[in-house]
Amino acid sequence: MAVQTLEAPAGAERWQMLAVRARRRRRLTDSLLIGFLVTVSVPIILPYFWMLTISVSAKTGGVESVVLWRASGVLVPAVVAFGLLRLFVEGRRLLWGGLMIAAIALVALLLLVGQDLHAQNYRFLWNPDIVADIRGRATAEAQFPSVWVAFRNSLALAVTQTALVLTVSTLAGYYLSRFQFPGRSGFLQGLLVLHAFPAMTLIIPIFLLMYWSGLLDTLTGVILVIATLELPFAIFIMKGFFDAVPWDIEMSAMTDGASRRQAFLQVVLPQVKVGMLAVGVFAFIKGWEEYVFVRTLLFEKQNWVMSLYIFWVSEDIMGVDYGIVAAVAVFYILPSLLLYIFCQKYLVQMTLGGIKG
Amino acid sequence: MKLRTLFLSTGLALLGLGLVAPEAPAQETREVVLKLWSRADRSGPLRAGNIVAAADQLNRMLAAAGSEVRVKIDLFESNARGYDADALDLLKAFAVGKGPDLYVAAHEWIGAFVEAGYAWNLEEHIAAYPEFYDDMIPELWKSVEYKGARYGIPQDTEIRMFFYNKDMLRQIGKSEEFIEGLPEMVNRGEFTIYDLVDLAKEVVDAGVAKYGLVHRPNVGPDFQMLLASFGFDPYDEEQGKLQASRRALNDFYDWLKYGVDAGVIPANMTSWSWDAVHASFRTEKTAFLKHHGIWNVPPQMKEFGFEGPEDYFRTIGWLNSPPAKKGGRPANLSHPIIYVVNPQSENRELAALLIALASQPYLNTLHAVSTAHLPIKYSQLGLPIFDTEGWAVKAATPMLQYTTFMPNHANVGQFNAIIYKGVQAVETGRLDPKSATDFVLDELVNEIGDEVIILD
Amino acid sequence: MAVRQRVNALIFLGPASLLLFFFFIAPVVVDLFVAFTDMGRTLKVTEFTTENFERMLTRDRRLSQTLAITFVYVLSTLAVFNVTFGLILALVTTQVPDRIGGFFRAVWLLPRMSPSVIYALLWAWVIDPNERGLLNQILMNTVGVGPIDLMNDRPMLLIVLANGFIGASMGMIIFTSAIRAIPQHLFYAAAADGAGRLAIVWHITLPAIRWPLSFITVYQTLSLLVSFEYIWLITDGGPFYDTTVYALYVYKRAFENGQYAYGAALALVLVAIGIALALLMWRFFDMKRLLQQPRIEVH
Repeated sequence: MAVQTLEAPAGAERWQMLAVRARRRRRLTDSLLIGFLVTVSVPIILPYFWMLTISVSAKTGGVESVVLWRASGVLVPAVVAFGLLRLFVEGRRLLWGGLMIAAIALVALLLLVGQDLHAQNYRFLWNPDIVADIRGRATAEAQFPSVWVAFRNSLALAVTQTALVLTVSTLAGYYLSRFQFPGRSGFLQGLLVLHAFPAMTLIIPIFLLMYWSGLLDTLTGVILVIATLELPFAIFIMKGFFDAVPWDIEMSAMTDGASRRQAFLQVVLPQVKVGMLAVGVFAFIKGWEEYVFVRTLLFEKQNWVMSLYIFWVSEDIMGVDYGIVAAVAVFYILPSLLLYIFCQKYLVQMTLGGIKG
Repeated sequence: MKLRTLFLSTGLALLGLGLVAPEAPAQETREVVLKLWSRADRSGPLRAGNIVAAADQLNRMLAAAGSEVRVKIDLFESNARGYDADALDLLKAFAVGKGPDLYVAAHEWIGAFVEAGYAWNLEEHIAAYPEFYDDMIPELWKSVEYKGARYGIPQDTEIRMFFYNKDMLRQIGKSEEFIEGLPEMVNRGEFTIYDLVDLAKEVVDAGVAKYGLVHRPNVGPDFQMLLASFGFDPYDEEQGKLQASRRALNDFYDWLKYGVDAGVIPANMTSWSWDAVHASFRTEKTAFLKHHGIWNVPPQMKEFGFEGPEDYFRTIGWLNSPPAKKGGRPANLSHPIIYVVNPQSENRELAALLIALASQPYLNTLHAVSTAHLPIKYSQLGLPIFDTEGWAVKAATPMLQYTTFMPNHANVGQFNAIIYKGVQAVETGRLDPKSATDFVLDELVNEIGDEVIILD
Repeated sequence: MAVRQRVNALIFLGPASLLLFFFFIAPVVVDLFVAFTDMGRTLKVTEFTTENFERMLTRDRRLSQTLAITFVYVLSTLAVFNVTFGLILALVTTQVPDRIGGFFRAVWLLPRMSPSVIYALLWAWVIDPNERGLLNQILMNTVGVGPIDLMNDRPMLLIVLANGFIGASMGMIIFTSAIRAIPQHLFYAAAADGAGRLAIVWHITLPAIRWPLSFITVYQTLSLLVSFEYIWLITDGGPFYDTTVYALYVYKRAFENGQYAYGAALALVLVAIGIALALLMWRFFDMKRLLQQPRIEVH
């Protein structure tokens, strides 16, 4: 019996080869690019991870890195293994493979660093007296701030401030995008120029203004100031989003009998939800990390916010426990992190308007 | 029948009246509220706490006397980072009319507060209550004096010193006599500050220690202590102004450079973190000398794993800042924290009295022992707790006889900051000692103007 | 109709105008006033004087150094990180598969998203000059280079790096979304015409982001000019005055030395420089596109 060799037509074969070669080349460049990204991102990932390990392992209050290196020694190969797995395997086998890698990593971690882990550095969450072990009974009432008071204040501040920024900037952004009015270009130019105003150095005049207007020492005053500082940026972003919304939509709504305001609220606004989300996230983050204005403009007792709390914990004139500082830092960064992870997808869609083609 | 009913019902009615009749009106309390401003300080919570305790004590006495007055303390704890920032906050609060009735402050700010009109002259008060103030350690009164009168009551003080590692000296072959006798030699003026650097150099060169001398990596009173060794007197009492001696400053910077060149003081000392400073004195083989204060003793106990005073003093010793030349006097610095009363307060007498109560030996000892600060009254040292838990503090109190204080001048904060900039410049080699001196004096005049006198 | 339009203007633009006026414009006016007084820590004004400006021009030895440092700092951070690196990140993360690109964009947004206090704290721990610092640990164990002291020896590099990481993220986002907005068919057409990856980037991607590039340059220049928060937290003006940029210098004079009036005078100069720069860049960078004629009504 003669062996029948199947020969594909010559042209198709060549296409096949080219395709394979192109794919391989693409994968190579992709790997190089990913390698580059990994290299430049390590300086960012490592310190944050370090902070986490310090918070769960530091005992003498010093900044240590033994746990970091051991944990990295386990996690890095695990991630690399998973990455390689993804290249070759799919679907169900990928899932099982991934789970196995995770299990091995977990066991390795437990063995290497398990005994060094403890939650003592997080004791500020349930006991405001963080120096009890050193100072003993040397505290009277209301001596130490509670992190939960600071958390609550920070949250109230950030949320209110975000709502204000969103409202004001959305309204202003829409108007600037749609209406031609005398002074429009001046206004926009002015917004850009305002960005050059050193807000922190204008603190004294702001302080005086607040004093003269009776807003000093009120949370309202602080919120107004912080919100205003976010406005130029927020208005630009919202305007960009509004610019990208075709005006046919509202035109048709208005010809159908809606007033401009109704058109704005019911038709246009839903279109810029992404923009509002982006502005909201940035505004929240800013309010969450604020400390300068809180310190300058408030005098009352309940003015502890998270940033001031961490300043207080890290005061080092008479010795500081960096384990606690790291733990507070982890606790402090968690809300921003969570918010940001959930909204990350939308943040990268921010536009500036006027970009068409 | 009718009469019995009448009696019965009247009796019942009277009984009922007796049951529902209102009691004699309860004692109505009249509250006097005093606002206390303090800094939320992890290392001194009882500074404010003792005032609260004093008010409590007063209330008990008032209740026993049948009075309806009660004193309530409205405690405000500022979240300032350090006493300098807190003082600035206080001045701001006073400026907008939100000042407290009494407050806790660092002593050197008393000048600023007096000049602005926010500190009450306490001479009369002190004279009126010898029961409270007679056994105060006399040197401490100097820290609350401004232009000849006392405007505050000292709340505590501490002592700063050079900690030296005796084990390291043993390792390079020094005799026990020398090691134990070092503090005395310093006090007698036989061991100078240059000798100290040379000794440190020996230790470092022998490979026993990595660093010869570590000091604080930021602005602070410590440098005035070192300057005092060189005969630098920062205050002109008569004119009430700051002063700076060019020669003494130059000598000080020369010494720093000498230390850096000898490899004893790390050149980048000023950019270390506190964490690194503490870690460097933690165990063997790192730093020989550490310029810090008495409050560091409890952490040192923990870090070295000592059990008690004998353990501690076997390994670590304390030195005053040695004189710059043989035959000179050693120097030391302490930094008292004080209570001050607002003269514009309606209850200033009461505030002063509360301070007096808060300064009672029992309350002050609670603070002193738990936070390793020195007591303010000699009588406190007799308490047994100073032998058990407060042994470090008791051992340090004799060093108070060499102590100096920072001047109580309004601009002393800037003064310190500028001198520190010079320290940084010399140690890192950015400026040589002479240029650094010129720079510092220049800046002083620039910033403080005619409130500072430049000598020679 | 005119009334309704006016009311609309009030509702939409009113709040923003009010807030911006009260907290941006008015303080500058007050600042102008304070700069001619002798206000100190006690907030009391006792005399009007031009002494502050006199001092700025004749007696202040630090000023010229501060201006030079500011210039170098703004230029380096802008050129290396905010614009260039932001662009590189945007390009690279859009070239690789989307999930991976998204992950790395997320990582690079982390510095901007974390509270400034924590970011500064992390930097302090990383650059510690002994072996405890993370940077030194890595350097010593991999490359074998001794412990380095970034804070002391290369403070400018330190602040450029620290601020650069934050700054690159803004550019990265804006450029990414601009790249994403490029219609896909352009890429296919170019590929069909035989263009390699590099050629596509050069001829299609880059031209599309010319406008965001201008905007980012202008915007970030102004930002870098007036912001000093991270510098303050990390180096506090550097060893000696090595990293004291102008804005930080103003703050220190005003707050740490209690010389409010002098600080106000210095701040005025900064505002003037900022305005001048903004207007200059407006002309130079074709910012008119920001105006993009609105579609509908004319009053």
